[in-house]
Amino acid sequence: MTTTANTLREGLSRYLSAQWYVDTSVEAASRIPGGASRETWKCVAVVGGESRGVIVRLDPDTSLIDTDRATEYRTMEAAHRAGLPVPTPLFLEHDTQWLGRPFSVSAEVTGCQASPDGIPEAHREKLGRRKWELLGEIARLDPDQLNLGGVMASTSAATCALEQLEYWAKVIVDDEIHPNPVAHAAIRRLRRNPPPPAQKLSLVHGDYRTGNFLYTPEGEVAAIFDWEMAHLGDPLEDLAWSLDPLWHWQEPELAGRLLPHAEAVRSWQIASGLSVDPEAFAWWRVFASIKGIGIWISSSEDFHKGSSKLPILALAGWLMTDRQQQILVDYLSPHSPHRFKGAFE
Amino acid sequence: MIPNGSEGIGHLAARIFGDLVPKAPDAYAMSDLAMIATLLGMAAEDYDRAADVLIADETEITAIFDAARPNIADPVLKARMASALVSPPEGYRVSQLSARADAAMRVLIDLHAWVEIAQDEGLLWAVELNGRIWRFLERHTERRAYHAAF
Repeated sequence: MTTTANTLREGLSRYLSAQWYVDTSVEAASRIPGGASRETWKCVAVVGGESRGVIVRLDPDTSLIDTDRATEYRTMEAAHRAGLPVPTPLFLEHDTQWLGRPFSVSAEVTGCQASPDGIPEAHREKLGRRKWELLGEIARLDPDQLNLGGVMASTSAATCALEQLEYWAKVIVDDEIHPNPVAHAAIRRLRRNPPPPAQKLSLVHGDYRTGNFLYTPEGEVAAIFDWEMAHLGDPLEDLAWSLDPLWHWQEPELAGRLLPHAEAVRSWQIASGLSVDPEAFAWWRVFASIKGIGIWISSSEDFHKGSSKLPILALAGWLMTDRQQQILVDYLSPHSPHRFKGAFE
Repeated sequence: MIPNGSEGIGHLAARIFGDLVPKAPDAYAMSDLAMIATLLGMAAEDYDRAADVLIADETEITAIFDAARPNIADPVLKARMASALVSPPEGYRVSQLSARADAAMRVLIDLHAWVEIAQDEGLLWAVELNGRIWRFLERHTERRAYHAAF
């Protein structure tokens, strides 16, 4: 179904009035470009003469990632309680009477942007250090204290890696329109050579990269968002994903286009109190590319066979699959020149 | 037929980027138009090269199957390799070439898995064939790389 700014303003005004027990009028609503996992709107709600910015995330008809809205919302709540910078979660609503689809509402973090292209040169290093410190802080949290058992599958340090691998392998097998011989070779390689058990079970953000946090004009990380793929697992999974060459395609020497790879890892290690076993990390960085291909080909499958024809689904499905395959060939071919060097080469 | 199809599609992409994106009413529409222009640029690349990419894959896969057959003990896999590309294509539409390449690629994926097991057992022919398959996968990936995208 299509949501227009008018229908959103009308339905959200009714909803917020009911939630806040005071007449609320949503006077502006504009759709935010970018991420396709949810339809995201920036709105201004006027409550007793005071303007409040809110972000509304609507369930998609189709998306890059098939995820449960409750996982994202409850994880954001847990991260907020733990003191991490995340948008303040306000409401999670499953009832479709208000906006036609389930949705969540969080407070707008004002005066910030997320685009990797907009980061001033002078702030890159500072933002980079903080980015990987925060990832280390996520890894350091005790998952038992987060109270996420209701929305996250249980796992163990010994089994989480292969569970994640099998999940994404199935996505690839189920959704590939054309066979992907490189991805299949990578999956077999990882199955034959499993990593050591995780040092600890951690909260894994699942899509931690430049572009998924808001930063201030002064170069501070203001809020981490896009928690919809969060789960419990090996903290090296997040580290490897954050260092995937896809996120610094234009500037391979700078992790996430922010700072040298070794510096990123050092910041993460200090903040997490964990070490990085290069062999385990090598497994997780191949896994990151398999997961990437899983996401990209399922978005392509959605675009070609589903009801949504959002160009971002095609862009992810066509371009990202191509690049992720180049990365995997570089990692795995016995003849590879290994042009995607990481923190340990 | 569109004259110089690849070039024509590229012109349309440039028109969207140069003229329509700046006139978009809001950030969301601007982002959508920019993505559509990028996708058109990729379509322009594929328009020109698609048949060449698929036939190059087919030629290489045929040679790999020919080299592998004497060493493959599995009769089912051997028969699938023998029949995968033996008859000429039913036509040269990209959809027909693509379906044919997909069928051969599924056999190649199973062959590769078989060869990896043989390589782990230390069989020299398997080491050589695995290297040959990876050379193919390198070229297969390179042939598909988009150069027009950002």
